[in-house]
Amino acid sequence: MPRSSKRTRSGAPTSGNDVLPGATSIDEHHHHKRSRNSSLRRHLKAEDTSFSVKKCLSWFKEYTSVSEPDVLGPEGMEKFCADLGVDPENVVMLVIAYKMGAKQMGFFTQEEWLKGLTELQCDNVHKLQNKLDYLRNLLNDPHIFKAIYRYSYDFARDKEQRSLDTEVAGALLGVLLPRWALRAALCEFIARERRYRVVNRDQWCNILEFSRTVDAHLASYDADGAWPVMLDEFVEWLRANDSSMPPAS
Amino acid sequence: MMKSTLPKDKIPGKMRIRAFPMTMDEKYVERIWSLLKNAIQEIQKKNNSGLSFEELYRNAYTMVLHKHGERLYTGLKEVVTQHLETKVREDVLHSLHNGFLQTLNNAWTDHQTSMVMIRDILMYMDRVFVQQNEVDNVYNLGLIIFRDQVVRYGCIRDHLRQTLLELVARERRGEVVDRLAIRNACQMLMVLGINSRAVYEEDFEKPFLHQSSEFYRMESQKFLAENSAAVYINRVEARISEEAERARHYLDESTEPRVVSVLEHELIERHMKTIVEMENSGVVHMLTHTRTSELGCVYKLLSRVGEGLRTVADAVSAHLREQGRALVTDTLHNTNAIAYVQNLLDLKDRFDHFLQNSFNNDKIFKHMITSDFEYFLNLNNKSPEFLSLFIDGKLKKGEKGMSEQEIEAVLDKTMVLFRFLQEKDVFERYYKQHLAKRLLLNKSVSDDSEKNMISKLKTECGCQFTSKLEGMFKDMTVSNTIMDEFKEHVLSSGLNLYGVDLSVRVLTTGFWPTQSATPKCNIPAAPRNAFEVFRSFYLAKHSGRQLSLQPQLGSADLHATFGAAPASPPAPAAPRRHIIQVSTFQMCVLLLFNQRDRLTYEELLNETDIPEKDLVRALQSLAMGKPTQRILIKHPKTKEIEPSHQFYVNDAFTSKLHRVKIQTVAAKGESEPERRETRNKVDEDRKHEIEAAIVRIMKARKKMAHTLLVAEVTEQLRVRFLPSPVVIKKRIEGLIEREYLARTPDDRKVYNYVA
Repeated sequence: MPRSSKRTRSGAPTSGNDVLPGATSIDEHHHHKRSRNSSLRRHLKAEDTSFSVKKCLSWFKEYTSVSEPDVLGPEGMEKFCADLGVDPENVVMLVIAYKMGAKQMGFFTQEEWLKGLTELQCDNVHKLQNKLDYLRNLLNDPHIFKAIYRYSYDFARDKEQRSLDTEVAGALLGVLLPRWALRAALCEFIARERRYRVVNRDQWCNILEFSRTVDAHLASYDADGAWPVMLDEFVEWLRANDSSMPPAS
Repeated sequence: MMKSTLPKDKIPGKMRIRAFPMTMDEKYVERIWSLLKNAIQEIQKKNNSGLSFEELYRNAYTMVLHKHGERLYTGLKEVVTQHLETKVREDVLHSLHNGFLQTLNNAWTDHQTSMVMIRDILMYMDRVFVQQNEVDNVYNLGLIIFRDQVVRYGCIRDHLRQTLLELVARERRGEVVDRLAIRNACQMLMVLGINSRAVYEEDFEKPFLHQSSEFYRMESQKFLAENSAAVYINRVEARISEEAERARHYLDESTEPRVVSVLEHELIERHMKTIVEMENSGVVHMLTHTRTSELGCVYKLLSRVGEGLRTVADAVSAHLREQGRALVTDTLHNTNAIAYVQNLLDLKDRFDHFLQNSFNNDKIFKHMITSDFEYFLNLNNKSPEFLSLFIDGKLKKGEKGMSEQEIEAVLDKTMVLFRFLQEKDVFERYYKQHLAKRLLLNKSVSDDSEKNMISKLKTECGCQFTSKLEGMFKDMTVSNTIMDEFKEHVLSSGLNLYGVDLSVRVLTTGFWPTQSATPKCNIPAAPRNAFEVFRSFYLAKHSGRQLSLQPQLGSADLHATFGAAPASPPAPAAPRRHIIQVSTFQMCVLLLFNQRDRLTYEELLNETDIPEKDLVRALQSLAMGKPTQRILIKHPKTKEIEPSHQFYVNDAFTSKLHRVKIQTVAAKGESEPERRETRNKVDEDRKHEIEAAIVRIMKARKKMAHTLLVAEVTEQLRVRFLPSPVVIKKRIEGLIEREYLARTPDDRKVYNYVA
């Protein structure tokens, strides 16, 4: 996700005047209703915990262009990240994309935007910023992490291809598994060995399993463990090239 | 006087009418006992002739009846003991260094005799008193006393043992000894055991076995050091017979197995490896010098001990593997397939000979030979090709003077080698190629032999292997029929065949070995047009089919006239006509010379459009072979063919034969690039076969763990080739990607079949 160089205005509450009492779920039709009950409005504090679809959408519009009003593209993405105060390469962006169910890396459709932010109940930048910690913590749950990890394969993949380019895979691993001891080695391996131009889905999923079950010294690596051949070859390569690795038992 | 009323008819166990109890006068008892005691002593002195058996018996009976059995028994014991101690033992002790065994044996005999008589007298006591009180009977009592007071008396015991052992030792050294004396002593010891062989065992057998063990240990070492394996073995056999015979004759029979076992241990078991591996006389030496009967002896001898045969088999196996390995890796000589296979067949014959004649067709050795051949045959990955070439040689015409039966016998032996091949699918590929050549070039010696060979393969490998081969035969038959029909058709329709006597064979693509691509070739007008006639005829019969000409497989007979033009000397004057038999490619080349006298290589290349490699081969046969084959002349006469080199007809060509067959410079085997190509095709096919196997198995089982799946696949494909687990894994991954399989969500090591 590209980074923007400009800083836009911070998220001050917009002139949202349509807070429907108790409305928390998306309902496209509510979008058009207006509340006549202005007294209610006056009871609401500045710390606005309710969610406005309209606000959300107009926030969306800050990042789209006239030529492409329904899709948030790379430029908008840069801006968005800047507003959020988050590096586009930061893993939390993946979590956000996951929540949105975004199909293509670098882009959010309006539908995706709305879906994700409604679930998170954020219609402006501040609210989302407050949610960032929560989003990061989601990664600590192994099941959720696995889902996000698998999701990111399709997210990052070039839709014309079945498999993920090695380079992109490497970058993605850097974001998702930064603290895996063998990550750098694996990325070097697949970059070096030219026969691996792409990483297929099965290999991708197994990399996560591998990082979770096999230790950094490969002691718990089981040659009969039905690992994809690529990982077997990786182990072989590691053992051959890294003298700190004990040889195969 | 005392009245002794003896109660009549005592019925044991039934109600007895007790007689009025009569006490026996103590003096009376004393008197009876004296009488008996005296009698016993007389017997012991061998003075029994004056005694009355009846009277003595009656007295003993009386004593026991009146409840004095105890007294009698004790008395007996004392008397016997006294006699043995004071008289007998003394005699024996005196004879220690002078006729010991004789004396002892005499004492023993005498003792036995007297005890029998004593027992007879005291029979009633045996039956009643002894039974009731569960003490030893008279005879046994005598034995026990004799044993304890004489035979096992300190120095007598030791001396007996030493004497016996000394005698045996002397006999082993070759002296003659008094066997009877030993025999008697051993018998005595056996008897003294009273229903057990314990006395014999402790007093003689144990020390005897120990001494034997020591003796043979020394002998074996000495003998091994001085003699060859064969001699040693004979000696061992001799010794074993000797000891067995000794045991049977004058020791106790039961010692035979024990002493033989000691010998086997000392002479054989301890030295198995030494015997087998002895340099210049061990098993390897025997194998190399074909010492069949010596090997038989080794086999017989070592089969006596547990691990003996295994030791021999290991040595033979090591040797066989070495020989086999040397054969197959001898790169210097391994260009000739026929020799290669023949050498292997000879090796097999050789070892089969040993198996039958030395090793008694023993299963261990049979298995060993099989596994060894499997090992080294597959070391050379050209083995499948060579095997096919060998068979090709036997099935081709011109195989000198082999009768059908001889050919059959050789082919049977070749099938044995075939069984050892791991890469049977490679063999299949080559066999198809060679068969195709034989069929198309009419080189088979006989259809029957061919069919025979195929049925042998079918028995080995199932019909999948041979169905295509049979298809090839069918094509040949069908082609003949079509040709007949075509000829009729031509005659009846008066079609123009452009002067070509055409013969076409139609091959079904699936059955015949495929080229990577049909090579191009510019067929000259006449044959091309003739073929078109055939094509129309055929396609009219079989619409929907396609025919493509295969120039690399065809041949042509050309009418050739040499020397029609004025020739330069030393060519003969008159023109000569020949029929030359050439390949299709060669035909294309030669017919060009009808239009031009000289052609460069480059021109030939362009005009014929034949692939370079084939053109070069064709030209080499036409221009650079033997003089009797040289239809063309090349200028310059170098070995290499450059684009500018020229070719022209050899008008000076002569041959004794009217019909000249031009041999194609064919490599006996494949060239390296061809071999690589074949190997690639094989690998491709294997990928498909592996995937088919995986899908088949998963479809049936629905769910299977990785290691199990790999094992199943390997097992199923083993008759064709041995797939490596890595290759199988790669195929599994391919199938996962194409969504035939998926890993189960719970366990990534288990796969699901995706319907």
